[in-house]
Amino acid sequence: MNDIGEFTLLVALAIALYGCVSYIMAVRGNRIDLYLSADKTPVIVWVCVVISSAALWRGFITNDFSLQYVWAYSNKELDTFYKLASFWGGQKGSLLFWTLLLTTYMCVVYFQNRKKNIRLMPYAMAIMLVIIIFFLVLLNFSTNPFERIPLPPEDGRGLNPLLQNYWMVIHPPTLYLGYVGFTVPFAFAMAALISKNLDDGWIRLTRKWTLWAWFFLCMGNLFGASWAYVELGWGGYWAWDPVENAAFMPLLVATAFLHSVQIQEKKDMMKVWNMSLVLLTFVMTIFGTFITRSGLIQSVHTFDEATLGYYFLAFLAVIIIICVVLILSRLPLLKSKNELDSFLSREASFLINNLVLLGIGFATFWGTIFPIISEAVRGVKITVGPPFYNQVNVPIGLVLLALIGIGPVIAWRRATWANLRKNFQIPSVIALVTAGILFPMVPLTGRAEIFTYVTFILCAFVLACILREFLNGAKARMGLEHGGSFVSELGTLTWHNKRRYGGYIVHIGMVLIFAGIAGSQSYSVHDQKHMKIGESFKLRDYTITYEKLTAVEATSVKTRVIAEVGIYKDNKRVWTGRPEKEFYKGQNQPVSEVDVLSTIVEDIYIILADFNEDESATLKVYLNPMVSWLWTGGWVIAFGTMICMWPDRLEQRRRLERMKKQQAIFAPAQE
Amino acid sequence: MNFVHFIQLILVLIILIAVGVPLFRGLSKIKLFGKLDLSGEEYKHLLVRKEEVLLSIKDLEFDWKTHKVSEQDHQKQRKKLEEEAVAILERLDVLEKAKKKGKRSTRPANKV
Repeated sequence: MNDIGEFTLLVALAIALYGCVSYIMAVRGNRIDLYLSADKTPVIVWVCVVISSAALWRGFITNDFSLQYVWAYSNKELDTFYKLASFWGGQKGSLLFWTLLLTTYMCVVYFQNRKKNIRLMPYAMAIMLVIIIFFLVLLNFSTNPFERIPLPPEDGRGLNPLLQNYWMVIHPPTLYLGYVGFTVPFAFAMAALISKNLDDGWIRLTRKWTLWAWFFLCMGNLFGASWAYVELGWGGYWAWDPVENAAFMPLLVATAFLHSVQIQEKKDMMKVWNMSLVLLTFVMTIFGTFITRSGLIQSVHTFDEATLGYYFLAFLAVIIIICVVLILSRLPLLKSKNELDSFLSREASFLINNLVLLGIGFATFWGTIFPIISEAVRGVKITVGPPFYNQVNVPIGLVLLALIGIGPVIAWRRATWANLRKNFQIPSVIALVTAGILFPMVPLTGRAEIFTYVTFILCAFVLACILREFLNGAKARMGLEHGGSFVSELGTLTWHNKRRYGGYIVHIGMVLIFAGIAGSQSYSVHDQKHMKIGESFKLRDYTITYEKLTAVEATSVKTRVIAEVGIYKDNKRVWTGRPEKEFYKGQNQPVSEVDVLSTIVEDIYIILADFNEDESATLKVYLNPMVSWLWTGGWVIAFGTMICMWPDRLEQRRRLERMKKQQAIFAPAQE
Repeated sequence: MNFVHFIQLILVLIILIAVGVPLFRGLSKIKLFGKLDLSGEEYKHLLVRKEEVLLSIKDLEFDWKTHKVSEQDHQKQRKKLEEEAVAILERLDVLEKAKKKGKRSTRPANKV
């Protein structure tokens, strides 16, 4: 099976090369025979990559340690659950997994569009194949997952204990689904540029794909934060680590694109901007991979040797050059036909939102690459830590938060100050009331605390703005001839305007995330104590009592040392925490497994930092307020995105009518 | 030849047949697509624009009902959008008539 897996990777590369060349020749030479031949290649490449992936998975399941990759990331004792996830535990498997997702996306795009967009599709497929070729070249000639060990060892080295967490099964695939998903809008944008088909057709074709990729990238970031929170044991969830930044930057650019693209759809303007944003999003995904795979920047996420930096850097350079040249050469065709009606309009607020998002993106980018630049220029690697990001990004983030509330209240095209004053009255009052209520409750001694206070006020303002939108919309519908009850009209309003109101729900999720970040970053307290059994210490309103230490032989390779900690509030036991240290055979360092009691108000987060033979232990306890708001915000975003992506029958009907009409006049129709 | 090589050979043969057959079906003289009909492309674009403008009118009415735009701006914007819609409809009409008559419109596109 390993031979077949390795062979199909090579065949996939050959067929992808053939497909790419023949698609381009077919469209350049206007030849249907070449097109029909090329049109078989997406499925063939996908089948080959699936066989290859199945072979590697089989290697993990059957403990085939003749494969160097399986030996390095698995062992006999590893749960099947983690054996399946070990596939993407290292560089080789990650790249194969990326290729598997990319070829799967390509197949879906192929089946969605093969009978339409005959002028655009060959280019789009060729571009996706070029990207696949890059990954297949790496897999075949640089980092082969089917590399053998001549004398297979009895057992494998095992998966890094830090990766043996259920998030390992969820987080990387989610993030990859997002990263790889941006290839689709990128391919269609490039196809539109090459074929000079520069109306908004490519945007309509890839709208859902962009949303899909954005959603998974967003959830991937949140899942990553959640994983870091429960596994790394430092009490936090985000450290502005280069690899975290690498996943955060494309999300920012993609968010800017999702907003500005609406202006192009509505007003047929900002074509250059949108084209640049979608290309930049893809560039950022490759840059992210470069950061992860280069080894140039130290990261807590470096679980593996990173050797592919220069390949990705070269690929990145080629993509940037091609994108810039193509955009510049098509500038006359990308000229907008309309202009901004007023600076007091939704369009203008989207523009500011774009600049703010890119501002955060640029600050993050600069902080991420600064160590490389400082080393190249001055020979000293200066690491940029959280203080830099917080100092720059927090104020800009607050502007963004305010815009989340302001944007929806401003009308498209033109609004007046009088209307704005009227519409912002209630949200402003709610914000002021929140400010008044919170003032005596929160300390305002430092810059961070003042920012947190402002964040809470803005959150109240934004929530009021969004809820007012729902309220006014439902009330307006109730006033219609067939208007129903408030609740039914609220449902109809959302259902008939999925994109708009689904978007508002996503914004509510963002507000929860902002509030969660502000609360947990500013009001977190912690203490660390070395204690004997029966001893206690106080942290805010809680008494923490160290009660017991137990050692459990969990498996033949894993021993767990569990501390039992009683948490009391007002002399009443509220929870028993069981933080632990896990010792893995063959690993020098034990792994801390924290225990967390999460409530809407705060998280009680306990780490067993150390223990001695006399059963005394060092416990570190954090009280992190409002962390659960972050995860709740994530689920609200998921719900909102689901509404946005839900198939819109009205839109489908309009599209069909459009096609029918065009077919009647200008057969054959091509959407 | 062992079993693995046999499977590999079968795989290569299937792939060669799949990609090769279209090349030997005598289709080389058939064009993938006809000459780009510019008026057809314009028609397609205008149909989309028409829909967007009509949706913008609907949005404007909704914004007016929810007090986001003033009466004065509502009237002004509505007039502007209606004019835009009329211009698009007129151009669509011209393109339809030209196509129906079997002639291609040579008039330059109106700026809509």
